[in-house]
Amino acid sequence: MATQENNDERIALLQGTLDLLILKTLVLGPCHGQGVARRIQRRSEDVFLVDHGSLYVALQRLEDKKWISAKWGVSENNRKARFYSLTARGREQLAEKTGEWRRLARAMALILDSGSGLTGEGA
Amino acid sequence: MFRRKRSAEDFRAEIEAHLALEADELKREGLDDDEARWKARREFGNVRAAQERFYMRGRWAGLDKLLRELRFGLRSLRQSPGFAATAILTLALGIGANTAVFSVMNAVLLKSLPVADANRLVYLRTSNPPRGTGTIDSHETFSYPVYDALRQQQRGLSPLMAYVPLSGSKVAVRVGAQPEEAEGDMVSGTFFSGLGVNLPLGRGFSSQDETRHAPLAVISYNYWTRRFARDPGVLGKALYVNGVPTTIVGVAAEGFEGVEVGGSTDFWIPLQSRPELNAWGNPLEDGKNYISDSTWWCLRLIGRLAPGVNRAQALAQLQPVFQTSAYLGLGSPMQGEKPPVVSLDDAKNFPGYDEQFGRPLRMLMAMVGLVLLIALANVAMLLLARNATRQREFSVRQALGAGRGELLRQLLMESLILVTAGGALAWGFAEMATRLLGRWAEIESSLAPDKTVLLFTLSVLVLSALLFGLAPLRVALAGGAALALKTSAATSHADAGKSRTGKIVVALQMALCVVLLVGAGLLIRTLRNLENTSLGMRVDGLVVFGVKPNITSVPEGMTFYRNLMSKLRILPGVESVTVMEERLGSGWSDNSDMRVDGRLPEVPGSGSRTVRSNVAGPDFFTTLGVPVLAGRDFADSDSASSPHVGIINEQFAQRFLPHVNPLGHTIGTDDGRYTMTVVGVVKDHKYRSIDETPIPMAWYMYAQIPMTGAMHVEMRVHGDPLAILPAARKTVQQMDPDLPLIRPMTQRAQFDTTISQQTLFARLAGFFGFLAVVLVATGLYGTLAYRVSMRTAEIGVRMAVGARREQVVWMILKDSLLLTAAGVAIGVPLATLVGRALASSLYGIKPLDAMTYLLAVAGVAAVALAASAVPAGRAATIDPIKALRTE
Repeated sequence: MATQENNDERIALLQGTLDLLILKTLVLGPCHGQGVARRIQRRSEDVFLVDHGSLYVALQRLEDKKWISAKWGVSENNRKARFYSLTARGREQLAEKTGEWRRLARAMALILDSGSGLTGEGA
Repeated sequence: MFRRKRSAEDFRAEIEAHLALEADELKREGLDDDEARWKARREFGNVRAAQERFYMRGRWAGLDKLLRELRFGLRSLRQSPGFAATAILTLALGIGANTAVFSVMNAVLLKSLPVADANRLVYLRTSNPPRGTGTIDSHETFSYPVYDALRQQQRGLSPLMAYVPLSGSKVAVRVGAQPEEAEGDMVSGTFFSGLGVNLPLGRGFSSQDETRHAPLAVISYNYWTRRFARDPGVLGKALYVNGVPTTIVGVAAEGFEGVEVGGSTDFWIPLQSRPELNAWGNPLEDGKNYISDSTWWCLRLIGRLAPGVNRAQALAQLQPVFQTSAYLGLGSPMQGEKPPVVSLDDAKNFPGYDEQFGRPLRMLMAMVGLVLLIALANVAMLLLARNATRQREFSVRQALGAGRGELLRQLLMESLILVTAGGALAWGFAEMATRLLGRWAEIESSLAPDKTVLLFTLSVLVLSALLFGLAPLRVALAGGAALALKTSAATSHADAGKSRTGKIVVALQMALCVVLLVGAGLLIRTLRNLENTSLGMRVDGLVVFGVKPNITSVPEGMTFYRNLMSKLRILPGVESVTVMEERLGSGWSDNSDMRVDGRLPEVPGSGSRTVRSNVAGPDFFTTLGVPVLAGRDFADSDSASSPHVGIINEQFAQRFLPHVNPLGHTIGTDDGRYTMTVVGVVKDHKYRSIDETPIPMAWYMYAQIPMTGAMHVEMRVHGDPLAILPAARKTVQQMDPDLPLIRPMTQRAQFDTTISQQTLFARLAGFFGFLAVVLVATGLYGTLAYRVSMRTAEIGVRMAVGARREQVVWMILKDSLLLTAAGVAIGVPLATLVGRALASSLYGIKPLDAMTYLLAVAGVAAVALAASAVPAGRAATIDPIKALRTE
């Protein structure tokens, strides 16, 4: 439904990875939603495409789970914004989810790098 | 609690902030103002969708949706308050009536005895007691020697319990100074422990209490509440029973009021041996009480099967012991006499309830079931009609994107609101009705709705909620989204299939209505017949009460009653006073064979030799207003020393002394020990109950036969009969301060108790019949009005092309008359089935009484006409131009 520019360089986020990215972003310190989106995009060297609608719903979901907390504040350029920060529970979750993700990425890499058993068609 | 943690506004503000921040950033990257704002918005995507997603995933979104639907449902019902009120009231009446009758049925027929492990309890029954014995009930009572022998036999029943009332009705008790009456039983020491009845306060009895005939008493929870206001200090108080002091030692569990039909025992005492506390309140016979008199079978027995023993095994243990002990003190059985056989009866439920109330209650349940069917059909029809007119609304909503699921939820919610409101009202209605039912039926055990009843009602409610939600769905969806595009009222409503369903439902409702009206008619006319039955006496102005003086000898008793009568006669307003041993209209009678002229009379054919007898005082028939056909009434001059005199009725004379003048013949007891000369013949009259047919009767003169027990006093007074009671009470208590008036009431009320069940039954049936008529009328009116309203355009066209008003009215009336005819055609055969089922409850009327059927059919037709009159009138006043314009 969101009309996004179809940029081949960008990859839609995998289900569930957005939560992890938000938590990781907030380790650096409290940040508002727009900042989180920008940071994720920038740090993935513009590979990740963050649907802003999904981002805010995800933020709300994390807040409901008490992994992050939020309060209204003022941004550096003097605009009212809702700032999110990581809670202790959020930090634990971040460590756990990071571990999970690493294992997944490693397993994927093992299979993809083995080069055998798969006949790359037109690769 | 119900507030979302974060408001939607807050979320919106956050997105606004996001857009502003993004625009700022884009500007810094070199875009101009407008472009930056536009790009920020574009980057964000669909703001609304995000807000919606936020909203939907809020914690309370589900509940919120429900509340929204509830509000919507309420609003839509509020738009048609007439419909809502009718539907709710109809449901309340239908379900309420069912709940009430079911809760009575539950309490009376389905509930177990309030004892531990009732499945292992058995009542003892006997085929018939040996010759030469007297019984209370020839199948249910036993002698003390039999009880004593059977209880030694511990391998079959352990324990065996005996219980026997202290009186046929109530006994005189006293707690403080004022004498009162209460229902009391003597019981064996094992009674409470054997039944497993809890005692929330104090203790029960022990076997030693029984052996010592200890003066102790346990009172029922009900009596404790009623008489002692649940005072825990009641233990240790003295309860005087027939003047004998007993000490209250316990209160029985709530709900336990004995193990007999209609049991509302107020107190129990261990089996006693004193003459004042003989079984059934009887005077001693030849100086023997119930313990020593082996010819008097008066104890009821109930037992618990011993562990590991089944009923057949227990019976095998008991039978030989019973058959030996039955003849203890009676000598050996006569040649060819069949020995009595003991049997065991299920004691899970109150045994007699089923016989007494089972049939009427099941009939009532069927009747209210029909009422419920009519009510449900009514509401369903109302909903159908309402939702059919809302088809356009549904179509528009579907066209605007509402899913079928959402429409279904809406319909279910509306029906849920109706059913919940109706159910709540029904419960209140049922509570009230149950109380009334209990009072009318004189069932004193608790009838209050319990968990089973609640479950029953809830299942009815859930079923109806589903029915009402789903039934209209088809109609609601039938139009589909496309219908919104059509505009013609005629096309949108002319769906033949729906109205056929409606017609069938209405015709069936009428059929049920015919059935209910026939049933109610038969029962009400039965009641009329009973009420108008001549009693054969001048019953108005008569008042009756019992007294049970503490007297030990025959002369003392005679003196007491003579004094009492002469004192009562001089009270102002009293016309005449007499006494009798057995109260008229009590449902009881003393039946036996009698000798005529020295021998038992030969009765031609298979006629019965049974004679009903009673013991009466002077001026007996004069006081009652029963005509003396020949000879004379009893007089004060008939005394113990004068020749014994007796009086008989017409039946007696016709059957045993035909073709002769009965006066001067000798009649007497079957053992030949007492004889008397017939000095009078009286007209047949009602004796035991209103619905009896007369049988031969004989009356003994009270002053001449050796009796010392309780008597009933009959007084004929001027004015209100009950107004004499305070003066009479004072007179009695001047003679003995311990004596209460036992069950004082007018003689008319006493006779009415013998038809109380028919009265109740008829009144209820009448009420439900009336209810059915009202429901059918509203249903028919609703359906017809709806049909007329959807034919407005058609009628307009007809009138525009020349139809006359009468033709239009006839068109509408014909419709409902056809429905009525169909309903009657189905209903009458059904009604004959009901009539046959009711046959045993009818009096003076045949199950196929033509008049009742005619009236029922006429009633239904009248209802149909009345219900169609308004819609027909409306149809006739339709202005063709206006009608066509609605097109």
